[in-house]
Amino acid sequence: MSALGAAKGGGEGINPTASIIGIVIIIAALAITAVMAAPALVAVIGVIIGGALVGFGVHFVPVGGAPAAMGQSPGIATGVAMLAAGAGLAGLFGGAWAAANPAFGIAVVIAAGAIGGGLMMAITCLMVNIVYIFGMGIPAASGKVAKDPITGDSQAEYKSQGTEGHGLPFISYVGGVIGGLLGGAGGTLIYYELLQVYSAMLPAMFNASAEEVLPIAVSLAGIFAVGMFLVNAVLAAYNITGTIEGPHDPKFKRFPRAIIGCAVASAVCGLFAVLIVVV
Amino acid sequence: MESILLGVGVTALAGALATVAGAAEDTESNIGSQGDPNSQVQLAPQMGYIHRIYNKAVSGEPPAYGLWVTIGAGVAWAFMATGMNPVLAIVIASSLAIFVQGVYAATAYLGRTSSLAKFEQPVYIDLLKSVTSVTMAHAFVAVFTTVSMCYLMNAALGHPFPLPLLGIVWGIALGAAGSATGNPFYGKERQYQSQMFGAGVPISASGNIVRYAEAGQRSSLDNGWFTAKLGGPASGVCFGLIVFLELWRTVLFEEAVGGWGAIIVGVIIILIFMIIDRYIETWARKNYGPYTNAEEASA
Repeated sequence: MSALGAAKGGGEGINPTASIIGIVIIIAALAITAVMAAPALVAVIGVIIGGALVGFGVHFVPVGGAPAAMGQSPGIATGVAMLAAGAGLAGLFGGAWAAANPAFGIAVVIAAGAIGGGLMMAITCLMVNIVYIFGMGIPAASGKVAKDPITGDSQAEYKSQGTEGHGLPFISYVGGVIGGLLGGAGGTLIYYELLQVYSAMLPAMFNASAEEVLPIAVSLAGIFAVGMFLVNAVLAAYNITGTIEGPHDPKFKRFPRAIIGCAVASAVCGLFAVLIVVV
Repeated sequence: MESILLGVGVTALAGALATVAGAAEDTESNIGSQGDPNSQVQLAPQMGYIHRIYNKAVSGEPPAYGLWVTIGAGVAWAFMATGMNPVLAIVIASSLAIFVQGVYAATAYLGRTSSLAKFEQPVYIDLLKSVTSVTMAHAFVAVFTTVSMCYLMNAALGHPFPLPLLGIVWGIALGAAGSATGNPFYGKERQYQSQMFGAGVPISASGNIVRYAEAGQRSSLDNGWFTAKLGGPASGVCFGLIVFLELWRTVLFEEAVGGWGAIIVGVIIILIFMIIDRYIETWARKNYGPYTNAEEASA
């Protein structure tokens, strides 16, 4: 069978066999953590939830890739993983800053991360529309829905001929902000949980005080959070395959598959992140 | 009070540095043709359109700037650990990072362009000489300002991340903001300048990029000159706003309402941007109106 004759890649549904294997991997990762590093079990669960949040959030981000750069399809003219990573890492910056203040609990830290990511996307999406509208004279139009699900604006007549739409209709803008919020919250949750583990375990490992090892704990948790964020963003990007307009795009329905995939990847990454301070 | 004043001053300086960084990043990526519109630069010879546009998109802008800013931040951090003056350390480290960028740009141009040999696209050595140094100069401005901004966040505002980690975070965010905002202006408005203003490029026109200037063939330097008029400053404003508002709300309101102050202010700012976006969206629909067929428009 030639490559051209092969079945269309991706698809919409969930593969039951792959999902069961994935769940077994998650349970195995949790079991290994429970045996080898019992105090870190909650942290690994947090990392899995954070990874799933990142994977889910990426599906909200309206990304048009190269066609959007020519005004041929709606969305932001860059790659899915790249934009999601940019927003999520801006969120992680805010979350890590809040986590450095001992007076703040986990709710404040996660919310700070979420707002950091959401703010980055709110500004970026606005500037995209400003460039389209005032720089290129092109109003926003979706190619996937007849009416904007939030505003009810009709789309077809504002779409220029020979294109699939352009710019960011309001639903895509809101999707971008939600994606940034979820990505920032997920990345910060991963960072926060790993920071707790490293802050607790590194002093005994290095035979030093908590203050002395704090910079190492922050750096380790930060670099693992950045790495895991990229793992989950890229996995979700593969699930999307190319471009997505936001929550109204038919591709959005694929998100359960990405959540399972990201949870499995995060469980394995989380296990290794914890084991480096135990073994 | 003094610490808040210092914090606001540093925030303003970081925002200004970020604005310059965003503008330089977008202009550099357009001169080097590294954003998503480069798909058309790569496609053009395959459609029979030979051109003299630089071509170094072997990776997206966010990972490329993540790499260069992190090298700059990491080397500056190492220099500072030896006791070197921070300003000198950042200048030297940024210069070293730009040598990496120069090697990346030269090899990427040679590799990307020579892969089009069977479509008779030549590798222009004069282009390699003239454009590579210009992208390096713009990249230096972007990397130097971003590393300086990261240094301010760490040393003056007390962010817990070490300088190299801040370099990764803000390098990727710089590339993401610059490519998101600047790419459509470079792609639709510059490469397809021959197409109708106020409409997207029809998919059937793909690859037919504008290749000729007022005199002779268009070069990538002309593209930088053009996009520096709107795409670059818009990317600068985008990245500058992100950095300034992120720092401003934290410096001023972090301690308010038990830690929730900065978060509430963040939500309010997001809502304000959302209202502005909705306003300009409806403004465009009202003032530009629906699309009409070309025949109807000319009749």
